[in-house]
Amino acid sequence: MNNSINCLDLRKTVLDMAFNGSTVHIACAFSIIEILAVIYRSHLRYSFEDREDPNRDYLILSKGHGVMAQYACMKELGWLSSEDIKNYFSDGTLLKGLSDSRVPGLEVSSGSLGHGLSVAVGLAFAAKLNGTDQKTYVVVGDGELNEGPIWEAIQFAGHHKLSNLMIIVDKNNFQAMGKTSEIIRQDNIQNQIKSFEFLVKTINGHDEDLINQTIVNLWDSKSEMPKGIVAETLKGKGISFMEDSNEWHYSRLNEKLYKKALAELETLR
Amino acid sequence: MREALMQELERIAKNDSKVLLLTGDHGATLFDKFRKSFPRQYINMGIAEQNMVGVAAGLSRAGFKPFVYGLSAFIPIRVLEQIKIDVCHDNLPVIFLGDGAGFVYSHLGTSHQSTEDIAVTRVIPNLSVLSPADKLEMSQSIKLSYSSNAPVYLRIGKSDAGNIHTKDVAFSMGDLIPIKKSNGDLHFIATGSMVSLAQKLCKKFVGSGLSSAPSLKPINSNQVIDICKNNKRVVTIEEHSVYGGLGSIIAEIISLEPLTKLHRIGVNDRFSEFCGSYNYLLREHGLDLISLESNVLDFLDSDS
Repeated sequence: MNNSINCLDLRKTVLDMAFNGSTVHIACAFSIIEILAVIYRSHLRYSFEDREDPNRDYLILSKGHGVMAQYACMKELGWLSSEDIKNYFSDGTLLKGLSDSRVPGLEVSSGSLGHGLSVAVGLAFAAKLNGTDQKTYVVVGDGELNEGPIWEAIQFAGHHKLSNLMIIVDKNNFQAMGKTSEIIRQDNIQNQIKSFEFLVKTINGHDEDLINQTIVNLWDSKSEMPKGIVAETLKGKGISFMEDSNEWHYSRLNEKLYKKALAELETLR
Repeated sequence: MREALMQELERIAKNDSKVLLLTGDHGATLFDKFRKSFPRQYINMGIAEQNMVGVAAGLSRAGFKPFVYGLSAFIPIRVLEQIKIDVCHDNLPVIFLGDGAGFVYSHLGTSHQSTEDIAVTRVIPNLSVLSPADKLEMSQSIKLSYSSNAPVYLRIGKSDAGNIHTKDVAFSMGDLIPIKKSNGDLHFIATGSMVSLAQKLCKKFVGSGLSSAPSLKPINSNQVIDICKNNKRVVTIEEHSVYGGLGSIIAEIISLEPLTKLHRIGVNDRFSEFCGSYNYLLREHGLDLISLESNVLDFLDSDS
């Protein structure tokens, strides 16, 4: 655990990477900043020295296009260097625009949606079979809930009472081409997941204290059921001209906008 | 052949508690003994193949050794992306058992018939492709898969075609198995269910030879080149599309130098049109003995 993880630093790293690499998916990373920060800061068991430590807890980013948020956390842990951030998307570098399991610290290759949750379920199931106390956290997007295998995995997890699994839905109300309410309506995610025998809470996904307390409460419940959090978030959270819009799913930063965004972050320090 | 499959799986599961058998609610009575003997190592994953492969990847990451069973129309076809991304990208040792390959489910139509599986699996990096012809090749295929510590697609075709070999075959990954020597004129290379028919075909063409190809990827290209160098004509036979399967593999190997005249026999890029018995469908696709014979005769005529 690393108590120094600060969401303003994380957002700055995401902006740096996005600008340096001229990449998209900025807003998709900003909606999960607080969620990842709280998990890395206060919950995830890992080894600084050995990112593949067999006793670690698992954090799986099933919505792999939000990966810059996870890179930003990995930088705070010292797993990525300033050079990695500076050279993002340069020829011959390791960090891709989607979660890739060949990067130590990332667990799965995702980005093709609807894969990560099943792998997470397999890891949680393995921990049950092995009788270990490892926990598995998996972050899925609300758009990703369109995918069929998500519901295959949820029904399997419910049936097998994978109480060591926590699904966190990043409900930012957008998917690639528009509002989820206009593409595949999802007004009832909490009850949908709950109906597969999950213990589920819906919370503000940017309130760090609330995220932390909810995770604590869910584990403390000692419920046999798998756990779920519907995190209500804002796509692009933290930068005024990106918030609650789909434009920054695809847009790239120019120097002017990059500086404007950095300046906004600095006013919050 | 399926008894040999289960015997090997039971032997391996007994010695290695990390071995798990996952099925997508398929297999009927095939697993009765396994379930009884190893209840903790058998999991019916439900009718949810995509999740099954993802879960297998997770289990494998945590040190388990999953054998994933399904019909080859679903495993690998339906879950190709999961096999590619969740398993093969990280070279995880997951073994895929695709049963009923070819026209085994002749009466059920296109959804359950599978003549594309070799083509789509062999292009996936890290994934080996095995296609045993009888119970002895099956036993060895399971042993090789288990010990490879890498992903394998094991194609299980028509399983009651009789035995090809009379004693254990200790082939390695990639090996072709010589069954009958040729006089240098005509040699057949067949895989899976078609090896048995090719044996019969050999009797129709005096002096012809035969090799079985239980390992399609990797495949020993030196062996293939030797066969092609030593024969004027080579004919490949498979219960699979002529595109992307055994015939294509041989064609790719010999494409660099004209070693022989190659004629590829398989499913000609089409789905089955009608319902009927297994033998009917073989006839429909020209893979029965009579059609094969006339096909080869045409090839020889056109070439002389």
